[in-house]
Amino acid sequence: MNSTPADEQRELLAHVLLPVAHEEDALATAAALEPYGPDRVTALHVVEKADGAPDKTPVEQSEEVARESYAAVRTVFPDAEDHTAYARDVVGAIFDVADDVGATAIAYRARGGNRLTRFLSGDLSIKLVSDAECPVIALPREDSDE
Amino acid sequence: MSEDELAKDLGLVSAMTIGIGTMIGAGIFVLPGVAANAAGPIVVVSFVVGGVIAMVNALSVSELGTAMPKAGGGYYYINKSLGPMFGSIAGMGDWMGLAFASAFYCIGFGQYLAVFVGLPEIGFLNPIQLGALIAGLIFVTVNYIGAKETGGIQTVIVFVLLSILTVFALAGFFSFDYQTLAGSGGLTPQGSGVILPATALVFVSFLGYAKIATVAEELKNPGRNLPIAIIGSVAIVTVIYAILVTTMLGIIPWPELSQDAPVAQAAEIAFPSSIGPVGGVAGAAAAVMTVGALLATASSANASILASARINFAMGRDKIVTNWLNEIHPNYATPYRSILVTGALIIVFIAFLGRDIEVLAKAASVLHLIVYALMNVGLIVFREADVPEYDPDFRVPLYPLTPILGAVLSLGLVAFMDSLEIALSGGFVVVAVAWYFVYARNKTPHQGVLSDYIRTREEELPDQVVEAANAVAPTGNEGPTIMVAVANPRTESDLITLAGALAQHKGGRVLATHIVTVPDQTALDTAAENRDRIDASSSELLAAAKADAETFDVPIETKTILSHRGVEEVFDAARSNDADTVVMGYGGTQFAGGRAEGTLDELTHDLPCDFLVLDGEGLDLSDVLVPTAGGPSSDLSAEVARGLRETLGVDVSLLHIVDAGEEDAGREFLTEWAGGHGLADADLRVETGDVETLIGEIGSEYSLVIVGATERGLLSRIIRGSLVYDTIQALDTPVLLTERPSARSLWERLFGSGR
Repeated sequence: MNSTPADEQRELLAHVLLPVAHEEDALATAAALEPYGPDRVTALHVVEKADGAPDKTPVEQSEEVARESYAAVRTVFPDAEDHTAYARDVVGAIFDVADDVGATAIAYRARGGNRLTRFLSGDLSIKLVSDAECPVIALPREDSDE
Repeated sequence: MSEDELAKDLGLVSAMTIGIGTMIGAGIFVLPGVAANAAGPIVVVSFVVGGVIAMVNALSVSELGTAMPKAGGGYYYINKSLGPMFGSIAGMGDWMGLAFASAFYCIGFGQYLAVFVGLPEIGFLNPIQLGALIAGLIFVTVNYIGAKETGGIQTVIVFVLLSILTVFALAGFFSFDYQTLAGSGGLTPQGSGVILPATALVFVSFLGYAKIATVAEELKNPGRNLPIAIIGSVAIVTVIYAILVTTMLGIIPWPELSQDAPVAQAAEIAFPSSIGPVGGVAGAAAAVMTVGALLATASSANASILASARINFAMGRDKIVTNWLNEIHPNYATPYRSILVTGALIIVFIAFLGRDIEVLAKAASVLHLIVYALMNVGLIVFREADVPEYDPDFRVPLYPLTPILGAVLSLGLVAFMDSLEIALSGGFVVVAVAWYFVYARNKTPHQGVLSDYIRTREEELPDQVVEAANAVAPTGNEGPTIMVAVANPRTESDLITLAGALAQHKGGRVLATHIVTVPDQTALDTAAENRDRIDASSSELLAAAKADAETFDVPIETKTILSHRGVEEVFDAARSNDADTVVMGYGGTQFAGGRAEGTLDELTHDLPCDFLVLDGEGLDLSDVLVPTAGGPSSDLSAEVARGLRETLGVDVSLLHIVDAGEEDAGREFLTEWAGGHGLADADLRVETGDVETLIGEIGSEYSLVIVGATERGLLSRIIRGSLVYDTIQALDTPVLLTERPSARSLWERLFGSGR
């Protein structure tokens, strides 16, 4: 996928990689991206691996979550492609996949939560932004009533 | 690498540490004092016997695990082979067994913690229980949050433990004194009869190996690594137990060995108080052992809590428990509900049974032993039933001796437990069976290999066996799934009524689906904007469906399906939900769209299941007319009519139309047909004349006409506007079209049979 034409790469929204965690998150994230009209969308779910120890959830369950998330993204972007990655380092995997599929940008929606939750679940936002290897778009969080 | 392989990241060492890490905590750090006190020095033999029993079962687990590397382990194999009733016993047994084991590990943790820091007594909790509760809460929290660091630590912990224990064994070797071991009463001060009861007590120290099987799907090369890890960890652990328990008893006479913190006590004596100028060595060694014990029991408890979530997941997948339990936390991505429920059980066990560690240890063992025994039986069933999918990479040696021995040894060991634990575990089995019959039986869709085996050999087997198999068979799959595609509020209640009547008649369930068509290209914006509105109207519609279905005594599920396709999606949904019957409305709009015709034509030639299509609305069912000329679709019409009669008490009339002069033959046919379809007491009408006209005329006397498709595809007939279609159009009476797919050749399906 390295043959992406140069002019297309200049277009920020030519191919957006959309990391999603679960169905609800996927729906909200896709809806947040939708007004900007990206040309092409690839939904990504990273299954967090414990790397040498049993995972938090059975693989089968993780893959189910991934499928639900992709379906949710497709309710907004029917032609969205999908990609499932398995990694201990979630942010690293996002960048790897962005590189693999030739994404022009990564769009994500911060998942919120208080400082403690962020600390405990590992604040992906900070890592995503500070280690950015390609443009990273932070989508607005509509202060949802969900 | 395929995605499948990417998900597998546990190597042999990781797998082995799961087994060893879970087992070693109990056998070395917690039980030697209690067990030695009960049996004397011969307790070493008890450990070895426990190891042998574990090894026989380990062989069986290895075979089953390589055949089915699935989350869930023992539960999964038993459910697959012996069916959901034994599956319920195994699942509950495994789950509760793990909760007891976790409580046991927590108490072990509490024992060392109390020695280390000194805890107060609060209420009815002694200091050890308090320590255990704190530990339990921490372990549950860690798993709830799913701190990924815990996983990697396991390997480190196991290696640290093994190093500590090696040093301990070496130091112990030099302080070892056979006179201390033999003591004044010889090796068997209580006689050799105590060996097996002591084995029953210490068997809890071998409960880790099966946990490797619960994560089999994450193992690299499970065919090779699973057996090595399971068998290897049992072997290693047995050897370590034998050496270290002997060492401890050679350092401290058995009656004096601490029942709370044996390793710390032994270390204090085994190590010299000072090495050269460095003093306090013994004290430091004891402290290191205590830390080791805390790590060991913590990792055991942690692994058990994780494993119980796996079992919950597997049970939820088979609908033995509600999938509510397996929801994943939105932020932490952990199965938090399952962990909380298990955690609550652990806390209760610690608080109410925690004063006597033996009760927890034995309850955990009994429940696991029951599961092991069932697992061995399951293995025999798999082998004997000769299931083609059953192709294990590892096969137990000396079949059928090994699994028989495994089952006998497991149940035999249960006999050496105390009556309290046996009663407690017996209670859980009873609860599990009751649970199966009350809750799970009409939900779980799968029956076991065993009942398939019995049913295919009904003739050869004694009646009692067949009857017994039928008596406990799940009804979740016998009952067909009636899928309703509701489209609008006007027809919703009619369709649900038909589906509910049919489902109740057949003992099935109703799946109400609302298929929302999302426009293909144009309306991305609109789709997004409208989503809320769609969601609202959809949930309103499905809620109404649910309410309507409550009239009938049938389970109902609802589902909103977003799709780019309209009616085609019905076929897809029917297939993916394993529907046996689809009930849908015939709205002119649904089929009229010219665009869909071509596709629909293809689809309708290959129906995935029975189809019922209702034309009309505002059903007020009092009597129905079933015109018949035989054929599979009229069989379906008869079933629907019977269902309506049974559940709603409608009168059924059968109509058979013949050419003039053939009335007698016609009457004979209809009488026979009615009898053969359980409608002998229906009103039978034989008329002569033109089929179309007659159905039109007579039909208007009834509140519903059920017309079976005869030759060509029903749905394509509707589109093409053929004979029956005209009849429908002409009739004011609502018409239910039925079509049952028949095994016709592709040619016939495509072009009709030419008649």
